[in-house]
Amino acid sequence: MMSEVIVITSGKGGVGKSTTTANLGVGLAKRGKKVALVDTDTGLRNLDILLGLERRIVYTLVDVVAGRATWKQALVRHKKYESLFLLPTSQVADKTAIEPDQMEALINDMKQEFDYILVDCPAGIEQGFKTAVAGSDWAIVVTMPEVAAVRDADKIIGRLQADNKDIKLIVNRIRPQMVKDGIMLSMADIDDILSIPCMGQVPYDEKVVDSSNRGEPVVEWEESQAGQAYRNIVSRILGEDVPFMEFRTEGFFDRLKHVFKH
Amino acid sequence: MSEEIVKIKGTKTGLRIVFDKGTEFDEVERDILGKLESGSQFFYRGTVVSIDPGLLNDEDTERLSRMFRQHGMLLRIENSAKDSEKVSHKAVVHEEKKNDDVQASPQQMTVLNRTLRSGQELRCEGGCLIVGNVNPGAQVIAGGSIDIRGTCRGIVHAGAFGDYNAFIVADRLMPVQIRIANLIAQPPDQSEQPDYPERASIRDGRIIIEPVERKANS
Repeated sequence: MMSEVIVITSGKGGVGKSTTTANLGVGLAKRGKKVALVDTDTGLRNLDILLGLERRIVYTLVDVVAGRATWKQALVRHKKYESLFLLPTSQVADKTAIEPDQMEALINDMKQEFDYILVDCPAGIEQGFKTAVAGSDWAIVVTMPEVAAVRDADKIIGRLQADNKDIKLIVNRIRPQMVKDGIMLSMADIDDILSIPCMGQVPYDEKVVDSSNRGEPVVEWEESQAGQAYRNIVSRILGEDVPFMEFRTEGFFDRLKHVFKH
Repeated sequence: MSEEIVKIKGTKTGLRIVFDKGTEFDEVERDILGKLESGSQFFYRGTVVSIDPGLLNDEDTERLSRMFRQHGMLLRIENSAKDSEKVSHKAVVHEEKKNDDVQASPQQMTVLNRTLRSGQELRCEGGCLIVGNVNPGAQVIAGGSIDIRGTCRGIVHAGAFGDYNAFIVADRLMPVQIRIANLIAQPPDQSEQPDYPERASIRDGRIIIEPVERKANS
């Protein structure tokens, strides 16, 4: 089976790595692919919550690496999408529990069974990062249109390039109005610094918070703008050429509406 | 109680290590390593440490040089002009000459054909040419001048060993900080983005920035 292992990373915390992983995983599964999501944020796991699977976890990545369980035993199947699996990590152990070479061996073993393996990387550049990146074919770097997030993405890209990894960028939580007003970095500003091919622009969407809490990734919600953006990214991963979305900014009448509301 | 094997003196351009000729290299090495690892304020990254020619053979010099490099410092073989040691051995004089020849050769130019990203650092003894950007969070430290064919948003230090004639040129010069020799300049917080190449150099004891023209094919 031709499989692809993609690590999803960002450097900075809180930019939406796990949200992206969950959405792309569900998106790919919806398109009929067999997908495994591997949470490597040992000690601070939350991919299971985003997928609504926390109560089904029996074994974790740490058990697998320690030989207490096989990865097949540890995999949790998604409730709705039969071809989507989560390999959760431990909430108790810390990142030193898994060495990069152990991870690489595990991923190589799992590769036979899946079309896509998405590895959710922890924040930071320490061992957790090295472990997550080990065994991946290419990387998605998630960033936000903020100076600090772009700075950290730049650092991570430097690391990944030193490893000769192919990198694609996803810019998350874009607020088109703020970009228009010059408060938030624009795509051009980000590209100027990172100069990495962009494979997705995800607008800020309040529905993401709601969907995350419910354990239903927003990619399933037809009416959500962020969901549409994630569906587009899924198509791009599958090799389709999809144009980037146009973001609607508030026009004069929208603003007027706000004025009357208050 | 025990006398110091290696003495470290401050000089105008950095540090100088001095020890008696004929001292066992192992002892010298151990003593210096001990000093380096004591975390003394002396040993800034980027410091140039000089040593008199003839004190060590090539192999030992290489080892010492490697040790300093690991600690982010640069070892230079340089005759101390003032305290001209009594170098009586002919062989040593010979070696000294050889080293002078090396120093007289034109300084090396380091060329980097990529963007320096956050957290990355380019350090070179001579001048450097960067074909790419210097991103925020990246650093360039050069003994000579710095030429950036791209946008400079990081920290740049030219003439790091005290060369006041060193300069910095970039297609778009918007660094966080500019250092030339021992001067530091910080652009104003709300600086405009230049759309033309600029050059930073020292004039009248201050770092100034002025537009420059660059030939398209250069």
